[in-house]
Amino acid sequence: MAHVSDVLTSQDIGKFANLQVLARQIVEGFCNGLHRSPHKGFSVEFKEHRSYVNGDDIRTIDWKLFGKTDRLYIREYEEETNLRCTILLDSSGSMSYTGSRSDGVSKHDYAVRTAAALAYLMLHQQDSVGLVTFNDAVQKYIPPRARPRHLRTIIDELKRQEPERETELGDVFQQMVAKIQRRGLLIIISDLFSDVNQLMKSLAHFRHANHEIIIFQIWDPDELDFPFRQWTQFASLEAAANRHLVDPAQLRRAYLEKLEVFREQLAKGCNRHRISLVPMTTDQPYADALAAYLALRRKST
Amino acid sequence: MTFLNQILAFGAAAFAIPLVIHILNRSRFKQVEWGAMHLLESVIKVNHRRFQIEQLLLLLIRCAIPIMLALCLARPVLTGATALEGDAPVSLVVVLDTSYSMDTIDTSGTRFEHAVEAACDIIESTGRGSEINVIMTGGKPTLLFDQPLFDSAAVVRRLRQQQAGLGASDMQGAIDEALATMAGMTQARRELVIISDFQPADWSRIGDESSIRQQLETLSIKPVLTLLPVGSPVNENVTVDAINFPQRAIGVGQQVDVRGTVRNHGLAPVEKVRVVMRVDGEEVDVSQITLGANSSTQVLFPCSFETAGSHTIEISASADDPLITDNRMAAAFNIWDTITVLLVDGDPSGQPLKGETDFLSIALTPFTFGRVRLADLVETQTVNPTEVNEELLQSSRVVVLANVAKLDDKQLTALTAYVEQGGALLVTAGDRLDLNWYRERLFADGAGLLPAPFGAMLGQIDGERATARIVAERFDHPTLEFFNTPANGDLSKAEFRRWMKLEQIEQSATQDDVTNSVLARLDTGDPLLLERRVEQGVVIQLATTCDADWNDLPLRPFYVPLMQQLVTTMASGLMPPRNIATGDQAVAILSGTEPGSTLSILTPDGSRRTLQTVTEGNAELARFDRTQRPGIYAMSLPSTETIHFVAETSRSESDLATLNDTSLKSLSESLGSSMVKSSDEYLRQDQLRRHGQEIWRYVLVGFLSLMVLELVLQQRFSGVRV
Repeated sequence: MAHVSDVLTSQDIGKFANLQVLARQIVEGFCNGLHRSPHKGFSVEFKEHRSYVNGDDIRTIDWKLFGKTDRLYIREYEEETNLRCTILLDSSGSMSYTGSRSDGVSKHDYAVRTAAALAYLMLHQQDSVGLVTFNDAVQKYIPPRARPRHLRTIIDELKRQEPERETELGDVFQQMVAKIQRRGLLIIISDLFSDVNQLMKSLAHFRHANHEIIIFQIWDPDELDFPFRQWTQFASLEAAANRHLVDPAQLRRAYLEKLEVFREQLAKGCNRHRISLVPMTTDQPYADALAAYLALRRKST
Repeated sequence: MTFLNQILAFGAAAFAIPLVIHILNRSRFKQVEWGAMHLLESVIKVNHRRFQIEQLLLLLIRCAIPIMLALCLARPVLTGATALEGDAPVSLVVVLDTSYSMDTIDTSGTRFEHAVEAACDIIESTGRGSEINVIMTGGKPTLLFDQPLFDSAAVVRRLRQQQAGLGASDMQGAIDEALATMAGMTQARRELVIISDFQPADWSRIGDESSIRQQLETLSIKPVLTLLPVGSPVNENVTVDAINFPQRAIGVGQQVDVRGTVRNHGLAPVEKVRVVMRVDGEEVDVSQITLGANSSTQVLFPCSFETAGSHTIEISASADDPLITDNRMAAAFNIWDTITVLLVDGDPSGQPLKGETDFLSIALTPFTFGRVRLADLVETQTVNPTEVNEELLQSSRVVVLANVAKLDDKQLTALTAYVEQGGALLVTAGDRLDLNWYRERLFADGAGLLPAPFGAMLGQIDGERATARIVAERFDHPTLEFFNTPANGDLSKAEFRRWMKLEQIEQSATQDDVTNSVLARLDTGDPLLLERRVEQGVVIQLATTCDADWNDLPLRPFYVPLMQQLVTTMASGLMPPRNIATGDQAVAILSGTEPGSTLSILTPDGSRRTLQTVTEGNAELARFDRTQRPGIYAMSLPSTETIHFVAETSRSESDLATLNDTSLKSLSESLGSSMVKSSDEYLRQDQLRRHGQEIWRYVLVGFLSLMVLELVLQQRFSGVRV
């Protein structure tokens, strides 16, 4: 049975624990702001007790239990929050790239850890989290659940993933539009190496279905500054037959220009559809990147 | 091209290093499993061709860098297609313009000073063992040394003592002389340098310069010809262009009108030009004139001479111009004492102008006859044939036998002796002649005095037939030269009704000292005037009468000058010209001088030279040929008498313009020569010819440029901004 510690280190989890409240506030905050929930207040279906932590509403304290145990617990109910989050994790071949500066962490490893961290964070706040893994087609779809043991299901699936095959974001997202009907939060973790126009069309469909979208775009530092010097044969991670022997120094400038255009197109498209695009590089600790993003998000709400 | 460090040139093989590195790089590549292939692929697809070209360009530059470095270290020398001559000795001939135009002064000295400096620089730069000679072009091309010298210092020393101011240049002659000199030289490398102010007049005389080129090419070793122009063109110059004076014989006390032509070559008028007339060096007359722009003026100076003998006149103009050498011109005269002429009248008459010699007597003494207070050069004495005797003959300079029937033997002997000793005899035809006597005694088959026997009478004395005239031609004899100028009269207008045939007989080979020449002919083809030199004397034979019986000569205006010329020329005998062109030989016939006598000559530059007389035939001659400098040469004879020669040159060089750059270039091309502006440039060219041109500096610049270019291109291609 997989455990969250298989994917996340204790330091990572500690970092998230400190962020729990913050994260919940953020999630609630922007979810509340997004739509008016018909389930404001308490749910009728009791779910569990949990220890009181500073900052919890004192109205939620179970005073009877306090009388019995002399400890402060708060009562939590099913459907307490209206957040349904689906994490879409890219498992295509291009995600398996491991640069020299990322401490042996491939983009896919980085994406898995980010996904695990997000799932952990949200499930600890009783938000429902689902997972979709895909490459050129949907590999696995785990619908959103809020049960704590759902984390294990997700982590199991995350561990099982091996990056392979090509990326077809457009097609995959088209398929997922039909499956994820109930509106919620979509977190896409991918390098987005695909046709920008098609990608934007698919994302537009999600947005049309009132989904909130956050994209964590995973970069390896090598992909951003192209540091190669000597003659190199570049072999495609997605199609083995695709190889090019070049002098990297010669095409570095053209590559960087092309990269800039690509990133600009993505940024413009996301901005047009009010999608948060968060670039993350694998040489940065993913927890730091996540925390920095969440902190930024709080400021903006 | 050669290399000073030839072995290092093999370092160029290092070009293989970048090639090998390139090939190795391509074969020992790194493999990267790449994710962002969609970005990379599109870049490769679009820029594939450009990348290939850039790679090739960089590879070529990188290969060229070691080649350039190796070339630079090997010190390449450009030699053209010829082998290097190094410091090999040379046969050098410098043609130095010493004409008077080289005296032109500019701010930094005369043209000649510049030319000498340049020549000295070139001569001093020759290597050991070089043989050198210098040809000076002024007046007549003259060698500075009879044999080429191997001591350049000695040549330079002598050269620095030279002065310009000689006559106009004879460039063709100078080049001929130079080539002849060069043919006798020994070194394999031949150089001919012409240093001149390159005036158009000097080169236009040559006409086709390509003939010089052909001359050069026919030599077994073709010399390298270099032109070195000195001086800059000048407009301003005042010159005395000419002296005009009567060509006839001039006697003591006779007035002579001397005309000097003064010219201003400048573009601005010149005021207050002082023109001075000097006779025998003494200032006798002065005139002040104003000269318009580019115009000339004649100044008239009447003068007369009080003593017989050699005299000079000189006209000089004082003006502030850059060339003063041509501000003067001189002429030499021989002034005659009275010439006594014995007229032997064979047909005397009591009536005026009816006698045979009446017209002749008047023509020879016009002033006496006209009772004018002017001196006649000639004094005549008319006698009958019977009165002729030895005493009378010896007291006369010229004897005229006019229509004399014949002389007796004694008279003939005296006459023959008189002529052989230098006397002059004029024999005229007439109806009284004893033709047999003339044929047998006076001609005597060519052994006598007469040039030809008198033959049949020709023409009609009173008929209607057309008369004969003198053939109009250019006369070469001094007697008739005067009539080459149309203003002095047209001899062909005279009509001859009757004349005698002068039968010219072929001269026998043994009679070397007897020479006949025809002075003038009639249009019928018959000789009119015949001359014969008999020992030191001269005989002239006229085919018609000297009065108006057979012709109308006495009625013509030119009769007086004709007879005067005839008589004075005969009287002056064989006098070589006193006014000569620069470079021509000055010749004097010395009578009464011991063979091999030493004479002294004062030249125009103030130096004094000595001269040995030579014996030619019966005469003692003095020949002086170093007359390149214009001016007066005074020859002192052993008899304390001084005779003067004046050498003058044409004023073609007084126009101080020089060939412009285009003309010089064209001249240089047609001569197949190179042209340099200074001796330094010549030495640089010579250095190049001898040692080639080292070009390692240029190669080094190329090497460094390639290094920088490689760096820039590499940075540019890889997208790193510099």
